[in-house]
Amino acid sequence: MFPSSSQKKSWIFSNEQELSKQRENANKAFIQRHVQRIQYLGDEEKSQYFLSPNEERMLVKFYEVKMRDFCRRFTPEMPKVVIGTAFHYLKRFYLNNSVMDYHPKEMLITCVYLACKVEEFNVSIKQFVGNVKGDLEKATDIILNNELLLMQQLNYQLTIHNPFRPIEGLLIDLKVRSHLRDPDRLRPSIDDFLDKLWLTDACLLYSPAQIALAAILHSASKNQENLDAYVTQTLLDKNNGSQYLKDLIEAVRKIRTFLVKNVEPPTRDQVKRIEKRLEVCRNEETNPDSEVYKQKLQEMLYEDD
Amino acid sequence: MDDQICPRCKTTRYRNPSLKLMVNVCGHTLCENCVELLFIKGSGSCPECGVSLKRNNFRLQLFEDASVEKEVDIRKRILRDYNKKEEDFDSLNEYNDYLEEIETIIYNLSNNIDVPETNRRIEQYKKENKESIIRNKIKFNKDVLELERLIEEEQQHEINKREMLEKQEIEAKRRKIMEKEALIDELMFSDNDAKEILNFFAENKHQASTDVMDGEMKSVKKETIKRASYFSTGVKIGDNQIFSHTLPKIEEGPLYVYVEPEVVVEGPPYPSWNDLEAMGYLRHVRQESLDERAGGFMSSLACMRALQESMCGLYNISKKSEVSSAIA
Repeated sequence: MFPSSSQKKSWIFSNEQELSKQRENANKAFIQRHVQRIQYLGDEEKSQYFLSPNEERMLVKFYEVKMRDFCRRFTPEMPKVVIGTAFHYLKRFYLNNSVMDYHPKEMLITCVYLACKVEEFNVSIKQFVGNVKGDLEKATDIILNNELLLMQQLNYQLTIHNPFRPIEGLLIDLKVRSHLRDPDRLRPSIDDFLDKLWLTDACLLYSPAQIALAAILHSASKNQENLDAYVTQTLLDKNNGSQYLKDLIEAVRKIRTFLVKNVEPPTRDQVKRIEKRLEVCRNEETNPDSEVYKQKLQEMLYEDD
Repeated sequence: MDDQICPRCKTTRYRNPSLKLMVNVCGHTLCENCVELLFIKGSGSCPECGVSLKRNNFRLQLFEDASVEKEVDIRKRILRDYNKKEEDFDSLNEYNDYLEEIETIIYNLSNNIDVPETNRRIEQYKKENKESIIRNKIKFNKDVLELERLIEEEQQHEINKREMLEKQEIEAKRRKIMEKEALIDELMFSDNDAKEILNFFAENKHQASTDVMDGEMKSVKKETIKRASYFSTGVKIGDNQIFSHTLPKIEEGPLYVYVEPEVVVEGPPYPSWNDLEAMGYLRHVRQESLDERAGGFMSSLACMRALQESMCGLYNISKKSEVSSAIA
């Protein structure tokens, strides 16, 4: 269960500053490794050569939207848990890795592919790649080459606690312990809420149960219902947990404000500009289109022999 | 051989696959167990013919017909005394007469014809030829020893040879693999003509193999000389003993103790299994199908899991966040 999971131990952070700090560190680490590339450039070029943490973040956000669209279009239709797990993977991966090392468009399909496996959504690699636009063989290579790397970067902590089952549990509980009329009509707006929430960092900050509760409360208020009494008197009654009430309400409020704050994805123009610079500064050793990469792959092949 | 049966206890090979039939000078069989039982004092009489027998004289029955065994036994005993060689006679005829007499004696004894008369003949012969018997015996013993030595030497040689061959084979295999790898490497990386490389390697191979063979022969010779001293009978036996004494020790770890896992909820308590039914939670979950129930799946399991997960971690809050939220 969640309280004893690796998700809680290693992948829930206390606040957004901590997240951005991690991302900055990943960015810094990359620049440090490649600092000799800019030593002969002018000052202005120097500052413009590498991507900033903020730009990296924008790029990842852009590809998060892409990932959502990819998962929606996927045939056969994908269970929601797979999407949730894939989002977790992608977010976790870019906490400790730079966009300049691994391009998000490559990582996103790898994340989805791994999520399919972990969540027991059985698709063969051929079937999977059939959903990708462009060169299928190349896509296969990219996925399979990056899969192990991804798992390693996730510390092999692949079990994800998604908010979907907690939502089911809360809905059952609502049907039994509250007077809410037909809780199932909340579902469309709950799904909508979660869809948007995947594009934020909420799942790195809050437990799945908290996210589920936030989704249900949000949806209830959209449907002109009030569940405050259920939360304060039934879910946390006086005997157990009233002292946590403040924190819980605070968490729910924060999760809901995420939607207002960060929903706007970067525009195409911005992304285009960033990607142009990424072409220059990215690590050639991990770019499957580059000569350096191909050479390295060959070398590894010989070493295996 | 399948219908071998012990005449005393009627055990057959079918009932006791490890049945061992023994035979003594009288030619009557007994199974190993009966021998143990009857001759516990070391001597006794044959249960069939009453002849007194010594336990030490029992040996494994080699021939199906026990009478053959008896004859072999008698022949051995007779030949101990009638040990003249062809050289001891002046003519071939005399030697042939001598051989015929031996055969007659053996036949008589093994078929119980004129036993006292034959025994008397043997005694007489013994008396008459005392000296030559002893002389021939000594000579015979020497011959036997010499023969044994030869056989042992031959066996030793055989063992050494086999070891050497095995070694050579392993060596050759390794060399072959290495050459193959080198050739493939060369073919992959070199700019030379492939045919040239192949020829070059073929020549090299031939030369290398002859060289190595010579070297090996020398080294193996040295080793065999060394080993000859190593393989004295005493060392051999000692080796075996050491081997049988080093049985692997089995170490047992501490026994497993079940500790009930601690369930951390970090949230409000979830309903108990009884509440699921009593409070009507189950009404809001899909009833399991018959097939699912056969597999051990109950709708209460799914219901409980969802409820547990919805409560677990509701209180989740990392300590750091309180500090930082104050800053924020």
